[in-house]
Amino acid sequence: MFKKAIAKSMAKSPWLYHINTGSCNGCDIELVACLTPRYDAERFGFKLTGSPRHADIVVVSGPITSQSKDRLVRTLAQVPQPFCVVSLGSCPRSGNVFKGSYSVEGPLEKYVHVDVSVAGCTPKPEAIIEALYKAAGILAEKREAMTK
Amino acid sequence: MIQDTLMVLFHILVFPGLLFVCVCGLLLAGIDRKVLAHMQKRVGPPIVQPLYDFLKLMGKETIVPQAANRTVFLAAPVIGFAGLVVMMLFIPVFGYGTFNGSADLIVLLYLLTIPAVALIIGGSASGNPYAGIGISREMVTMMAYEFPLIMVFLAVARKVGSVGALSFSMLNIEKWQQVNGSLITHWAMIPAAIAMLLIIPAEVGTQPFDVAEAETEICEGPLVEYSGAPLAMFKLNTAVRMFIMTALFTMLFLGGITTGMVWLDAIILVAICALVTVCTMTLLHGICARLKIEHLFKFYWTVVAALSLLSLALVWCGL
Repeated sequence: MFKKAIAKSMAKSPWLYHINTGSCNGCDIELVACLTPRYDAERFGFKLTGSPRHADIVVVSGPITSQSKDRLVRTLAQVPQPFCVVSLGSCPRSGNVFKGSYSVEGPLEKYVHVDVSVAGCTPKPEAIIEALYKAAGILAEKREAMTK
Repeated sequence: MIQDTLMVLFHILVFPGLLFVCVCGLLLAGIDRKVLAHMQKRVGPPIVQPLYDFLKLMGKETIVPQAANRTVFLAAPVIGFAGLVVMMLFIPVFGYGTFNGSADLIVLLYLLTIPAVALIIGGSASGNPYAGIGISREMVTMMAYEFPLIMVFLAVARKVGSVGALSFSMLNIEKWQQVNGSLITHWAMIPAAIAMLLIIPAEVGTQPFDVAEAETEICEGPLVEYSGAPLAMFKLNTAVRMFIMTALFTMLFLGGITTGMVWLDAIILVAICALVTVCTMTLLHGICARLKIEHLFKFYWTVVAALSLLSLALVWCGL
């Protein structure tokens, strides 16, 4: 019963940690817009945290530049299990207009398993909230798989 | 004999102790978040959101950093929580006291520092530079609010005590209020009550006074390295501190409205606590941005200290 309650809470209280890997700031602003009173992602329990140790969902934006690659890998290693990775915008999944650049080392799939990916340059806040909500569901599934 | 032991265990684990403070603390934290959301024209999270947060953190992996002192790092949140539960045993629920003696206020003053000190030792054991900044700020915050708080306690003790004597017993304060009316209705105590209302958010660490745990600038300060169950305990500590501080305010200034039935008294206490939470913490959170640490210190040692000293002087003059 206790395990079930924890798995249910996983889906109800996902805390976000946001990593910018050389993004143009467009997706970052849209992510913050989701938390403002207009879209109010807090009604699903989403909360932006300052430390990767508190994170449940890691949101990655940007095409992963060579400078930020190491930091990305190191930060992801500090997140406690279970956690989900959401790729935000077109950059982390394909490289977008930066594809082929000497300083871009994407896509994100090369470094970590991506659970949910939102396309768009930039994605709409509605799409971001839907993706985060799906990620929260995956989080609960991961927790159940961990305890089995 | 066995009955007495069971009664003590019941007091510690269920009614004024562990279970009661956890439920009320999480409830107050939920009300705080919901009301704040409505103040910002949002729907807001459900009232039970702090419980979801707590259970979720319980199910997460606990990481102990390499630079940390493992024992202290993991023991700190539990020590802080134990301090809070003991504190509730010293606060009577309108005349229903558990551990009350003749110097409750002095004991409470010592116990009040335990959760803050637990945060400080936990943060310093984690070996993170952000935690270092956080604990130094937490220490300054403690120094800022302790002085006015002592003055408020002294004013209450002087008012309630018989001629030339101070009364530090919570049950005495409660009985005095049943006879002479709540302390807030005595005009000389009103500045002290306002001072106490301003001390509550700093003690709990909510928005304008959360310099120690500023998540946007120093990544939640002392909590930066915590994850999983210890973090859940710290989050529970904050919620329970909310309830303990508002309950203490209720007992000191709004006492004497007992109905005679303990369960009804408990419900009245929680209702008043919720009201005080909304009036102090949520309202300030909704309208103020975070202060700097020097502004916080100055505010407490000028405005709040002046209010509490004014009350103390008035009471000492026999008003």
